[in-house]
Amino acid sequence: MVATSCAHKELVSCVGWITADEVYSCSEDHQILKWNLLTNETSVVVKLQEDIYPIDLHWFPKTVAGKKQALAEIFALTSTDGKFHLLSKTGRIEKSVEAHRGAVLASRWNYDGTALITAGEDGQIKIWSKSGMLRSTLAQQGSPVYSVAWGPDSDRILYTFGRQLVIKPLQPSSKSLQWKAHDGIILKVDWNSVNDLILSGGEDCKYKVWDSYGRPLYSSSPHDYPITSVAWAPDGEVFAMGSFNTLRLCDKTGWSYALEKPNTGSVFSLAWSADGTQLAGACGNGQVIFAHIVEQRWEWKNFEITLTKRRTMQVRNVLNDAVDTLEFRDRVIKASLSHGHLVVATALQCLVYSTKNWNTPLIFDLKEGTVSLILQAERHFLLVDGGGIYVYSYEGRLVSAPKFPGMRTDILNAQTVSLSNDTIAVRDKTDEKVVYLFDAQTGKPIGDGKPLTHKMEVMEIALDQCGASKDRKIALIDKNNDLYLTSVRRLGREQSMHKIGSMVHTMAWNDSANILCGIQDNQFTVWYYPSAVFVDKDLLPNTLFTKDASEFSSAPHILNYTGTQVTVRRADGSLVYSGVPPYPTMLHEYTGSARWEEALHLCRFAKDQALWACLAGMAMANRELNTAETAYAAIREVDKVQYIKFIKDLPSKESSLAHILLFSGQVQEAEATLLQAGLIYQAIQIHIDLFNWDRALELAVKHKTHVDTVLAHRQKFLQDFGKEETNKRFLQYSEGVEVDWEKIQSKIEMELAKERERAANSSVRSSVASHR
Amino acid sequence: MAKDPLADAGLHFDELNKLRVLDPDVSQKTTELKEECKDFVDKIGQFQKIVGGLIEMVDELAKEAEKEKMKAIGARNLLKSVAKQREAQQQQLQALIAEKRMQLERYRIEYEALSKVEAEQNEFIDQFMLQK
Repeated sequence: MVATSCAHKELVSCVGWITADEVYSCSEDHQILKWNLLTNETSVVVKLQEDIYPIDLHWFPKTVAGKKQALAEIFALTSTDGKFHLLSKTGRIEKSVEAHRGAVLASRWNYDGTALITAGEDGQIKIWSKSGMLRSTLAQQGSPVYSVAWGPDSDRILYTFGRQLVIKPLQPSSKSLQWKAHDGIILKVDWNSVNDLILSGGEDCKYKVWDSYGRPLYSSSPHDYPITSVAWAPDGEVFAMGSFNTLRLCDKTGWSYALEKPNTGSVFSLAWSADGTQLAGACGNGQVIFAHIVEQRWEWKNFEITLTKRRTMQVRNVLNDAVDTLEFRDRVIKASLSHGHLVVATALQCLVYSTKNWNTPLIFDLKEGTVSLILQAERHFLLVDGGGIYVYSYEGRLVSAPKFPGMRTDILNAQTVSLSNDTIAVRDKTDEKVVYLFDAQTGKPIGDGKPLTHKMEVMEIALDQCGASKDRKIALIDKNNDLYLTSVRRLGREQSMHKIGSMVHTMAWNDSANILCGIQDNQFTVWYYPSAVFVDKDLLPNTLFTKDASEFSSAPHILNYTGTQVTVRRADGSLVYSGVPPYPTMLHEYTGSARWEEALHLCRFAKDQALWACLAGMAMANRELNTAETAYAAIREVDKVQYIKFIKDLPSKESSLAHILLFSGQVQEAEATLLQAGLIYQAIQIHIDLFNWDRALELAVKHKTHVDTVLAHRQKFLQDFGKEETNKRFLQYSEGVEVDWEKIQSKIEMELAKERERAANSSVRSSVASHR
Repeated sequence: MAKDPLADAGLHFDELNKLRVLDPDVSQKTTELKEECKDFVDKIGQFQKIVGGLIEMVDELAKEAEKEKMKAIGARNLLKSVAKQREAQQQQLQALIAEKRMQLERYRIEYEALSKVEAEQNEFIDQFMLQK
């Protein structure tokens, strides 16, 4: 929806938002006008001198490092006479600086407001302090620089050089990146701080999207006229592009949501309001065009919600075609529909609707206007605004507000924040390898307070949604597109990151069971039971469900995974749905409530190898040996069935526990369990069985028992392989010890008898579950 | 008739026997002339007025003609540009159509995917019923 108003007599060159509803525009008729969108009033702020022809305008940033400043009162205005001016809100010129020869074509403040960059017709790029003192000349080239943009951390700049784009770091020693981007002169660029993507538009009538390494992500088909303006929405989800009589709204992946053909001439400059709902454009025929986003759509189960007007939503229940209309006092900024609740953030309030009742929302006021992200979990939801991260319950109570040093909330998006019923995960921006984990109830860091650190930069994180909080898992995709799974609460143990997939570009957890789906290379993959890696690594490949992903074409993105349905957004913007068999969800439900018989029944019914593999993993994780035995037998893992049988025959609780741990490859834990129970021989035997000779000898020597056992086994091993003893410690101990197999055998018998006796005593006192 | 001495002296009597310096005939003729002159002046004035009005009217007509002429030229030019305008309009509409077509294509793909899901689910239900 677009509304235009005409007020300037000449071409309008630039626009800029000062508050959510006020816009300043500058024109070649030397006037600066202020537009108030609430009252629809237009007033002249100031009439500039006759010789100032404004070109570009940029307001001083409002938030600096999370703190709100006393409202930004100045803006930079560049003009054709080679000067830039710092103007106050009232239009008074505070300072004029002679900056370039020829016109100053662009100026931009960096994100913390400490520096201003200007680019001129003379091909120079200069950095100025906040007060307008020259700091340095960053670049010099032979052709005019039409547009310039700051990188997300304000440590790099992007500028145009004819048909090429250049990224130049501020540090003089680092190398700059330069690539040919368009077939015509590039007129406008923009760089988003949230998604780190670059947008460019040029005289070849195309607009393109790049990543920050200069790799092309999208290139539009040629338009009829040059692209005169491009602008990212602050949240990086959409961008706007302007051309002659053209205004287009596009997704960050490039496909277009909407096209408008207003009669405005060329749109020379575009600016989004801070909340990303409104757009102002400076038009060639003296008009200023205002646009706002409508027809946004949310779907969840049987509900379909459309934002029909700025303040009106329509809720449609697909099952009975019932239609409800929701009216709001102010503009809707963000909304989210999931887990049976609709959360709407307007300019001043937050409204929570239950899908059962659309009449009486729960309303509370927001501290700061612009909510940039809403995430929902079953029990609560999370709001991100300029000031912080807040967790609210669906009753509207503030649950917690986690914080970490150096937190910048303005750049968080759904890929870098994840919420579950008990945990919040946030990826750090300054060090992208670090993921902060918080308890959702208290807002305090989990465990010892040390964040999770991965060896690579993390691109996307997701917490699983179901199950007990001690089993909470986090899945993450790193820069190499490898998918890792790790446990959130790791109880003093060294964290173990398990790689469960590679070439994964996008993933999502199921909302009702801990099932993960992702697109792996050109396969759509569902991890029925990702936690299998913690139990039995070999099992994981058997628990996968794969499907050809060619129907999703290239670069798809998984939007959600609800029930048995996965929703995927293709690169061309179309939504594609895909079904997943319902059995794994049921299996999760049965095993979650320890209904093993029913689980077995289900597997027998479904006759699916992957399902059996899942059951095997789940049973082992819950130490349900009988079920595990059946399940392993069903997937023909004879060795494992044997081992489970062996575990079942073990005399004591401790050693069977130790062997279950051993089964999952947790040798240290198994040893610790046995030693704690005083079963030293068994601990030594574990290491002997694993050919872990040094540790076995160490234990034997330390506890002064079974040294001869270790030596005897070692000798036998060496003999079998026809090798000589080379280990110095074994040589040393074998000198003083005589190996007598009979004696050793009897000693072992004694140990086993002792253990049996002990177990018999203890099983009288407490019936051991694993010995049923 | 004997000459009137008075007439010689330039004196005359009129009908009312009043003494006059001018011959009554002449006097009468003079008066007539005066009247006639006055008439003439009046007529000339009237004529002038009429001619003035006429000129004005002609001028106005000229102006009007000029205006119409300009109008005609403008209309002719406009007519010429309509073709161009149409083209531009067509271009705009074409762009909008392309946009809608893309949206339609997206909806088509979405519909196909949903139909596939429906078929899968139906198949599943059938299988389920069969096995039960």
